Amino acid sequence: MRFTVERRLEQPRWLSVAVPVASVVFAFLVAALVLVATGHNPISTYRQLFDAAFISSGSLDQTLISATPLAFTGLAAAAAFRMRVFNIGAEGQLYLGAIFAAAAGLYFGGRGHASPWVIALMVVAGAAGGAAWAAIPGVLRAFFRTSEILTSLMLNYVAGYLLTYLIFYSESYWRQTKGFNATVFPTGKPLPANAVWSAWVLNTQGGITVPLGAGIAVLTAIVLWVLYRRTRFGFEVQVLGDSEGAARYAGVRTRRKILAVMAISGAIAGIGGASQVGDFAHALDGDPNGLQKQGYGYSGIVVAALGRYNPFAVLLIAFLIGGLDNAGNTLQGASFPSGLVGVIQGIILFCALGGEVLVRHRPRLLRRASVGEATPLSGAVQ
Amino acid sequence: MRNRKLALGAIGLAVAVAAALVLAFGTSPGKAKSTGAYKVAWILVGPHNDGGWSQAHVDGMNYVKAHLGSKVQVTYKENIAVGAQFSQTVASLSAQGYKLIFATSYGYITPQIAAKYPNVLFEQATGTYVAKNVSEYFGSAEDTIYLSGMAAGAAAKCNTIGFVVAYPIPEVIRHTNAFTLGAQATHPGIKVKIVWTNSWYDPAKEKKAAQSLHAAGACLLGQNVDSPATGEYAQSVGIPWVGYDSNSEHFAPKAWLTASVYNWGPYYLRRVKAAMNGTWKPGFYYGSIADGLTALAPYGKGVSAKTKALIAAKEKQLRAHPDLEFTGPLYDQSGKLRVAKGKQMQVLKGGTNSLYGMNWLVKGVIGSPKG
Repeated sequence: MRFTVERRLEQPRWLSVAVPVASVVFAFLVAALVLVATGHNPISTYRQLFDAAFISSGSLDQTLISATPLAFTGLAAAAAFRMRVFNIGAEGQLYLGAIFAAAAGLYFGGRGHASPWVIALMVVAGAAGGAAWAAIPGVLRAFFRTSEILTSLMLNYVAGYLLTYLIFYSESYWRQTKGFNATVFPTGKPLPANAVWSAWVLNTQGGITVPLGAGIAVLTAIVLWVLYRRTRFGFEVQVLGDSEGAARYAGVRTRRKILAVMAISGAIAGIGGASQVGDFAHALDGDPNGLQKQGYGYSGIVVAALGRYNPFAVLLIAFLIGGLDNAGNTLQGASFPSGLVGVIQGIILFCALGGEVLVRHRPRLLRRASVGEATPLSGAVQ
Repeated sequence: MRNRKLALGAIGLAVAVAAALVLAFGTSPGKAKSTGAYKVAWILVGPHNDGGWSQAHVDGMNYVKAHLGSKVQVTYKENIAVGAQFSQTVASLSAQGYKLIFATSYGYITPQIAAKYPNVLFEQATGTYVAKNVSEYFGSAEDTIYLSGMAAGAAAKCNTIGFVVAYPIPEVIRHTNAFTLGAQATHPGIKVKIVWTNSWYDPAKEKKAAQSLHAAGACLLGQNVDSPATGEYAQSVGIPWVGYDSNSEHFAPKAWLTASVYNWGPYYLRRVKAAMNGTWKPGFYYGSIADGLTALAPYGKGVSAKTKALIAAKEKQLRAHPDLEFTGPLYDQSGKLRVAKGKQMQVLKGGTNSLYGMNWLVKGVIGSPKG
């Protein structure tokens, strides 16, 4: 007997739904073992988890607080990874987006422009900030073949320190300097009312507050889908992702594409940063124990991978992981360590990602005699 | 063919489990258990067992539970980030019927949060934001930190003490100054060298900071951060250590001298009782040695009988006059006179010459108050 994993000749459609569902169910079974071993009732734990994430009144509001930034960083990662450009820098690009958008909000809002204009300018500024930050590893990759994985990752730390510097270590434009409270603890200067993003309240039971950023994320997903599926640019990006050599033969300009894709990816993350400022914080959050502790940029990579780089799937996954993230705050407490919440979230993500192998590959148990027959077949598919 | 059957089986199983889950969750839980106990929660910036700041608050929570028993239901939420995660946590607690929330770090409670939950009473440690349903609480830990500084100065066998500090904000600056003044009282002319970690709780960074201070010539370490990592490092290189927040002697018994510690329990008990019987009012509480909020932890072997007597005499004085150590003449690092002779700094009044607004380090501190 021998166990092998071979590539599927064809990928049945139903598999791409069945595998993730089965993976998550499997994850819940594994996590149940951990829960039982640590003396918790898995049924009531899961019940609490779903309740806190999606069911109880007001839970969706809180889930959207996590899901909105994850949608942006997920789309940012998907946009780049589709071309095998591995932008790990959504975290830093989000910070830069926040810094730029906060500046725009404070400046244009302070001059009394109409709210829609101020918000539009904040979105543009956020996108520009993220794109500019992403352009650094983009240029290094395009012209000097530097690994964008490393450079974009390193720049996350630089961006984090910059963010903290602006609020904690300098009396910058972004920092609140008026009043005694401002001297007690450093905080960002609050946005004027016309720079605060308005939310929609859907009047279902209890009312669901949908942040403007969530709407912009949906729009972004549509634009990204059209761009990648319906334009020449998108086609070239996909070809480049599949085979750089083939793309070059066909006359695709690689450098331009790398720059463009990095900029698009950074811009999306940057709008996520703008949403952090406009939708939620209403000021630049430079506290190392605040936005920077959330790690939305890194989680976005998982979101993109689970969504298989499909923009609409990314939105759905961001929503689900946002729920998981939010529910963690309800689960943990004096009788439920936060580490255990992390273990359960980790098992779910690990199984969901690990299960992806089964969509493209299938495991087979081969008897010794049949090994010879199977090998050439699986080899030929490569 | 066999694979397909297997896969179909898997889907069947998945659907069955999903159906079971939906049935299980179909009824609305959450409000199921209502025992009538008053629900109080604590929100922590680090882990509940950090050996420092957060642990002291959990000890306070347990004190409340021990006194009120089944009349209260208590819990804590640990490692909660300021901003999004805090608001999610408050939403969850409020939905579960928690009526009183102690947010144990500055920056958690914003006017938006306070306004969004008018029926929840909030208390925030170390801040200044008071509203209809928001109270602030803290205390003159600077007094006990001064006393711990006296122990450090007396035990230091060289002229430099290393002090690991979190953020360049008035709270930490005030504590650093108090520690330095205390050390200078028993060891005239001693210098206190600081390294900022840019975090309340980060054992790895705290250890690195301790390492760099020791390398720069410090023969004793102190701290204004939440973990005992500094102490563990001090013990590993055989130098004495002064802790902070909780009695963390067991982490580094050989290095341990003492620490300024908090005893939040009695305050928490008072406030929970007031909230339960409807007499809770917002305010600004600033505890002291006299009312038991702050204290000096038991001494280690490195504190001599003579030092203990000196500290006891000073403690008696501070008990009667909190924050007496911040009485002029006080000079800043450049030697400029900041507080005139005989004048005592106040907690909130006086801008950058108040305890809550202090943004300058006293003479003898090596390092920048700007981080």
